[in-house]
Amino acid sequence: MSDLAAQQQDMLRALFDWPAEDAIELIAVRAVNTWARGLKAYQTNGHMLAQRALSAAYPVVAQLLGEESLADLARALWHAQPPQRGDLALWGDELPLYLAKSRQLQDEPYLADVARAEWALHCCATAADALAEPASLNLLTTEDPDQLALLLAPGCTVVRSAWPVASILGAHVHGTPSLADVGAELRAGVAQDVVVWRQGLHPQFRQVLPGEAGLLEFLMADVSVGQALDQSSDLDFVQWFPQAVASQLVLGAVIQQPGST
Amino acid sequence: MPRFERDAAHSGSGALTPNIGIGWRHPHYAALLEQQPALDFLEVHSENFFASGGAALAVLERGRAHYPISLHGVALSLGSAAGLDLWHLDQLAALVERIDPVRVSDHACFARGVHQGKLVHASDLLPIPFTNEALNVMCQHVDQVQERLKRPLMVENLSAYIAWKTPPDEAAWQEVEFLMALTRRTGCSLLVDVNNIYVNALNASPSPTTDAQTEDAEAACRAWLDAIDPQCVGEMHLAGHCRVSDAHGDIVIDDHGSQVCEAVWRLYGHAVQRFGPVPTLVEWDTDIPALDVLLGEANRAREALATLRTEAMA
Repeated sequence: MSDLAAQQQDMLRALFDWPAEDAIELIAVRAVNTWARGLKAYQTNGHMLAQRALSAAYPVVAQLLGEESLADLARALWHAQPPQRGDLALWGDELPLYLAKSRQLQDEPYLADVARAEWALHCCATAADALAEPASLNLLTTEDPDQLALLLAPGCTVVRSAWPVASILGAHVHGTPSLADVGAELRAGVAQDVVVWRQGLHPQFRQVLPGEAGLLEFLMADVSVGQALDQSSDLDFVQWFPQAVASQLVLGAVIQQPGST
Repeated sequence: MPRFERDAAHSGSGALTPNIGIGWRHPHYAALLEQQPALDFLEVHSENFFASGGAALAVLERGRAHYPISLHGVALSLGSAAGLDLWHLDQLAALVERIDPVRVSDHACFARGVHQGKLVHASDLLPIPFTNEALNVMCQHVDQVQERLKRPLMVENLSAYIAWKTPPDEAAWQEVEFLMALTRRTGCSLLVDVNNIYVNALNASPSPTTDAQTEDAEAACRAWLDAIDPQCVGEMHLAGHCRVSDAHGDIVIDDHGSQVCEAVWRLYGHAVQRFGPVPTLVEWDTDIPALDVLLGEANRAREALATLRTEAMA
């Protein structure tokens, strides 16, 4: 290993090892005498960045945890799972798993699913743009549904949960339902699957309709409209479809190419 | 590897026309698009626009319709011994293709390396030693970026909070010598951050946070600026810093969270006398004030350049 590579590895150890006493001694050998205050500045900046990144990607989890707990969590995740890319918006995807495994948060088992839904919203916000093609929906009246696929909104994702995730998000983002109602749903063991998508430039979420989660999962797997509907008998398609088009969850239809599922 | 030729219009040899921009950050997205103040360019952090789509990219494209954009990176990690992240370079190239920026820049630093067997990125601007090995790595990566982007890069001097010792078997380079060698070997330009020079000079003094050090620090900064070839300077940055004194000691942090201090304005005056009216950016990244405050700082930079123009025409 070159001197430069070794020096840089020592610096990264000093920033990401926790505790970092051994690594700090390595820096002391390599740096001039003001190193200790400088290293502290870099460590502090890393922790601030971590908290800011999680607050941006997980605003509801941040509210649920409170500032102090979020700072502790951000610091722990920063050291356990350091960023791998220079785009910090990509860091934090491991949080749901980290929350699910956390012994300290076992009393709030819904947090991991809230985080999964928030990460879906975070990714949805920057998904590739797509325009609605309403005229293409006429294909549904002229073509064999087994040969058609539906074009779904950018970032469309289904988050399945055994907890009232849609209500928890709604209470914190939109103010409805009330926190009291959310508490009642939690105590009653209400389960809610959530669909996430982008309407224009705006990420959206809501609780899925009966049968909708399965339909969307099939459609996202490039299953034809006909086959997906055959597998989603619980869904009231006549009720769902106009809503899905109006909210731009469905952008259009396209004839599937040979070889598609 | 071909050496990129610097664009004379972006160097100190350009016309004596003030060219002033501001860092365009999220709190000012809407206000700036609405007011469309008289600015010569906007600077954004490249990494904030790496996404495939969405609102931020749409806002940038709206800004691009009214202003030239300077793409300023904070995470290429040009000085990394572990190499460049080709994914990162691909994202930057796609953004450059999409926005057609007036300039592209990043820092003389590293952030990427191996930690516990994995490649990680520290999300910070970490200092590199001024050694032959580090210079070779920087040159290789600047060449690689310029080849990929098909345009010259600007490299910014760092505010560094750790200074590395020179290994016993290496010649000691001064920062300025190191940066000048980088420009000669790659054809890249320098992005001279005046505040960073001043912050480093203060932190090199025995008591960085006291006013007693400012005269010596300014003298050191003028010497730094005087050692730079004016033809190599493509842009200058101005920003605020803060002084921190706590249980860990005293330090000056380049936090971009306040107005440019008077010492840095004086150094900027010295720099424009020497480099000419190179494009100048006012950055403000933390505790971001109302847009008018930032525009006031930009106007002060414009006045400094206008003074230079008046003197040159007299």
